[in-house]
Amino acid sequence: MGRYALQRLLGVIPLLFVVSVLVFMFIHLIPGDPARLVAGKDATLEEINGIREQLGLNDPLWRQYIDYMGNLFKGDLGNSIRSGLPVSEMLASRFMPTIWLTIFSMVWAVIIGVLIGIISAVKRNKWPDHVGMITAISGISVPGFWLGLVLIQVFSVQLGWFPTGGVDSWSSYVLPSLTLGAGIMSMLARFSRTSMLESMREDYIRTGRAKGLHEFVVVGRHALRNSLIQVVTVAGLQFGFLLGGSVMVETVFSIPGLGRLLVDSIAFRDYTVIQAELLLFATEFILINLVVDLLYGVLNPKIRFDSN
Amino acid sequence: MKFKGKAWSMLMLLVIVAVVAAGCGSGNNNGGANAGTDGKGTKPAAGSKNGNNVVVGLNANFITLDPHNAGDTNSISGARSMYEGLMGFDENMSLKPVLAESYSISDDGLVYTIKLKQGVKFHDGTDFNSEAVKINIARIQDEKNNLRMRKSFAKVATVETPDANTVVITLSEPYNAFLNKLAMGLMISPAALEKYGEKIGQNPVGTGPFKFKEWVEGDRLVVEKNADYWQAGLPKVDSVTFKPVPENGSRTAMLKTGEADFIYPMPTEQVNLLETDKNIVIDKTDSTIVRYVTLNTMKKPFDDVKVRQAINYAIDKDAFIKVVKSGLGSALDSSMSSKTQYYSKQEGYGYDLEKAKQLLKEAGYPEGFSAEIWGENDSETMKGMQFLAQQLALAGIKLDVKSMEGATLSDQINSAKTPEEAKIQMWFVSWSPSSGDADGATRGLFSSEMFPPAGSNTAYYKNDNVDKWIAEANKSIDANNAKSIYADIQKQIWNDAPWAFLGVDQVISGKRSYLEGVKVYPDGSVNVREAEVKQ
Repeated sequence: MGRYALQRLLGVIPLLFVVSVLVFMFIHLIPGDPARLVAGKDATLEEINGIREQLGLNDPLWRQYIDYMGNLFKGDLGNSIRSGLPVSEMLASRFMPTIWLTIFSMVWAVIIGVLIGIISAVKRNKWPDHVGMITAISGISVPGFWLGLVLIQVFSVQLGWFPTGGVDSWSSYVLPSLTLGAGIMSMLARFSRTSMLESMREDYIRTGRAKGLHEFVVVGRHALRNSLIQVVTVAGLQFGFLLGGSVMVETVFSIPGLGRLLVDSIAFRDYTVIQAELLLFATEFILINLVVDLLYGVLNPKIRFDSN
Repeated sequence: MKFKGKAWSMLMLLVIVAVVAAGCGSGNNNGGANAGTDGKGTKPAAGSKNGNNVVVGLNANFITLDPHNAGDTNSISGARSMYEGLMGFDENMSLKPVLAESYSISDDGLVYTIKLKQGVKFHDGTDFNSEAVKINIARIQDEKNNLRMRKSFAKVATVETPDANTVVITLSEPYNAFLNKLAMGLMISPAALEKYGEKIGQNPVGTGPFKFKEWVEGDRLVVEKNADYWQAGLPKVDSVTFKPVPENGSRTAMLKTGEADFIYPMPTEQVNLLETDKNIVIDKTDSTIVRYVTLNTMKKPFDDVKVRQAINYAIDKDAFIKVVKSGLGSALDSSMSSKTQYYSKQEGYGYDLEKAKQLLKEAGYPEGFSAEIWGENDSETMKGMQFLAQQLALAGIKLDVKSMEGATLSDQINSAKTPEEAKIQMWFVSWSPSSGDADGATRGLFSSEMFPPAGSNTAYYKNDNVDKWIAEANKSIDANNAKSIYADIQKQIWNDAPWAFLGVDQVISGKRSYLEGVKVYPDGSVNVREAEVKQ
């Protein structure tokens, strides 16, 4: 397994290279001139040209790419076109709020989602199932934007329990995590229910019950473990998406995260920031996929990793 | 088995209670939330939650704190809390001396002799003096630095410092707006410039009422009281924290809970709701921001002045303010706002559909025509364009509304190298002169040297008199003379109608009732110099 992991990790490098070329090409293909946007609408042509020259935007594209990659290998992500701040510093300060928000959202969404899924499967077509599935469908259907604003209205404005936004304390993360996790919790509840129902029909469950195993053991140990593979796949994908930052939740709750940074950067064609963020997301996704693959083996020992 | 069944159900109940509690809570309390301005529940008391510290919620991030390179209004607000210029603006955008004690201008308009305030120190303890002014202007003018402020100081030929408290600035040619430009050139400590170099944007050191404490990009800018401020009695608060809160609803919620003491902009749709709250005060003031539609005067059918005038008659400006701006604004009655220097009110273009049709007939378009209108893709702009399409349809003009993302739109406009290449017909847009001067509200928009991509004359308006007058007004030494030239310019532009003149925005802010002294200036910058918390 160690060797397999190492091989996969090495495979990341060519993948990132391809991603870097694609990202570079696409962001230069979209219309819009960063120099003009940075200079502002009352700028003179001379000013705009000065900025373009300073940023190296007059060089041929291949040249710009080589310069960029050269700096990247030296660990230099460059400076933001818009603010002049070092991109590495910007990403570092934006990364932590996004990470915390992702972790908090995922933790409660996975625990509650899987629990609802199990109970719904066990009590299929009885009231706990109906309640569970109504909760899940509501969670998926409610627009996050609306949910966020309602939570602020109730828990911040009316009750005064939590701040309306920001990242000043741990309590700031409660409402955004609830908002961000609601959809994922619901999705996981539905997935784990379906997958549990499938497992519960398997022969080994009947055998377990026939052996006289306690129902909690049958469900918790045998059925659940086998149905977790699907859950892990879905949760892994969602985790990857969340690490990209949620523009919606970050905007509603004024969280200085990666999602808002990306949208602001795209609006200003801040090439250096967009490139760095997209490379970061690609790396995160690849790593999470690897972790998910490795988890398959932990959950189901029948899955083997063949390094050849 | 029966017991087990119950156990599962109990577990489900627990889970559901944990998750749905929030949902139920919202269902029960939401009605109260909307009407919740009556002091029920645990709403904050009238006093400040933040003590003698003021929290200001703004709608966007700060980009830079380098005052010589700041272009966006929020960065300028942040910079002005820590920095000051020789001149400054009051709340009506009128000029007043700040770090200058007095000034005199030579009869030929070329030499500005400025006496500096004495005893002023930068936050790092170094003296503010004539040498500091000289170094700052040199930094702005240095081509290598490529700073935004450079064009404002392009006409400065020499800066002399006969003594520590006197600066003599000589211009290469008279420049009527120079005092306004001096107000934008804020003074940075030369020692800090030396120390931080390019990083001065992250380490501001000025002479202002507040000192830099910390800036967490995207999250907050904190400035604290400058105990050695030159003006006795100021500042009256210990610190000011600026927080970017992009979502309108969240920014309003921060004001309601008292987490923010002041917010700008106040979302127009919330104004009526919050006006009934006794803990909240809403301030509205006319801005320098004008809204209009440029009409490409070199393209058919807009090359006919009658068509352009017809469009101006066919739009009900009061209805525009009501529908698009929620009633918060006023009709635009010149090419600039009443808060801009040398504004001169114009008459005419009241809503008159019959006259519009008559003019179109005279111009040879009795059945009207079709045209494209461009604009950005934010909801207010789209609403504005839909409104215009509806209004002009009554006069027979069919508008095809094209909304585009900002940078793409800018590319569409500026990729045309000559007026012939230009595809633009109509553009729904706004403008605000950054230093409140008439030149900034005129030259870039109406001078024939300023066709895109060189400038923002997207109407491709060319009038030889206006061109000549703009140059004359710029070189005019006497303020009354400049005023009368700008009156002529505005009259001519009004009659030529290169724009559909629409409205002037109001700047609307909200604050807790205990807060005094924080003001939004007509250019949209927030001024905290005199902030005071009355407990």
